[in-house]
Amino acid sequence: MQPPAVTLEGCSKRFGERLALRKATLAVEPGETVVLLGPNGAGKSTLLRLAAGLLRPTAGHARIDGVDAVDAPRAMRAGMAYAGHRSQLYRGLTARENLALHARLHGRALDLDAALAAVGLADRADERIDGFSRGMLQRLALARATAHDPVLLLLDEPASGLDADGRALLDGALMDGHGRRTQLVASHDADLPARLGARAVRLDAGRLA
Amino acid sequence: MIGAALALARVKLVLELRRREVVFAMLLFVAATIVIVHFALRADEGAGPRAAAGMLWAAVVFTAVLGLLRAFAAEAEEGALDALLLAPVDRAAIWLGSALAQLGFLVVVELVAVPLWWLLFFQEGGPEPLPVIAALLLANIGIALVGTLAAGLALGARTRDVLLPVLVLPLAIPLVLAGVTATYGAFGEEGGGFGPLGPLGFLALYDLIFLALAWGTSEHLLGD
Repeated sequence: MQPPAVTLEGCSKRFGERLALRKATLAVEPGETVVLLGPNGAGKSTLLRLAAGLLRPTAGHARIDGVDAVDAPRAMRAGMAYAGHRSQLYRGLTARENLALHARLHGRALDLDAALAAVGLADRADERIDGFSRGMLQRLALARATAHDPVLLLLDEPASGLDADGRALLDGALMDGHGRRTQLVASHDADLPARLGARAVRLDAGRLA
Repeated sequence: MIGAALALARVKLVLELRRREVVFAMLLFVAATIVIVHFALRADEGAGPRAAAGMLWAAVVFTAVLGLLRAFAAEAEEGALDALLLAPVDRAAIWLGSALAQLGFLVVVELVAVPLWWLLFFQEGGPEPLPVIAALLLANIGIALVGTLAAGLALGARTRDVLLPVLVLPLAIPLVLAGVTATYGAFGEEGGGFGPLGPLGFLALYDLIFLALAWGTSEHLLGD
């Protein structure tokens, strides 16, 4: 039997005195899209970073395909993508150079022009991104996260800073991936689960409802 | 793994060429240090080879720390380290790429600093150049390897600007001792110490040990 794509079992995370996540248990099946809803400080980002293996839980387990997320082997990391609050890009490089580095690190020959065109940045491809607005950085971060067609996509409030066109692009990317890959998305948009036909999970004060 | 490390080193060198944030500050610091010590020691009246050698190596190490404080600054700006940690590459490549970039910065700085040191401290004579250059190159490798490892260790700490020198400087003491001994020996003086390896052999051994140590531990040091 195939394990869930993402599993959290009694997962807690403490930062100093603050307990950011309390005994969270969640299973996301392969191909499923789950939208994490909750107010600021609810623990959505912590949950996503635990699922990505970027944080080690204080208690409990976070697994990807049944493997401890922190110890995910290279082959598993090749099939996943995480985009957080920050763009995870190099500000002194151009948009194209950033995607080229991403392709190089993934050992893939990606069509960079197509990836940039898909997020509406084809005409800004050779500009350094330190002049980009927050919305343009979000678009480029989305391109970076989806360019290698991951089987697991973790997005943390990807719509923040996006204009209406950008949000439409984001919805399109998530709908395109729905059923085809596992998607776990933190959002403040209460309508997003209905638009995507996705499962909604509510998080409040570090507890999953 | 080597390809990914080279790609990351190239990114850091390109960023430095465009922004000139690290090397320019290092150059100013090392040049100011050499000039100040030159006048403080009245080097034109003969500071002595040991003082001149010690001065050069102290300036090199403190300048290197200045560069190391910015070792992961580009990754910290927009959280690029997360993307690197999740990339399907050996995490040692992240450390090695940064170490190669630091090595490049040090070499550029020394291309200016060493001729300046020579000019100010040795109007006549001076040490044999080859042993000094060899010692600098070997020590640069050691400083870049150890320093980048320490920068990775200090990355998550709020007090990393204080923590990094505290970590790096004690580890750099053997490099400075061997470097000073090699430089002093290049004057035809008996440097002493370091046994059959000699100071250059010691520096090479130091590099090999810390290359192995950093390679083996970087997977764990750069994560949560």
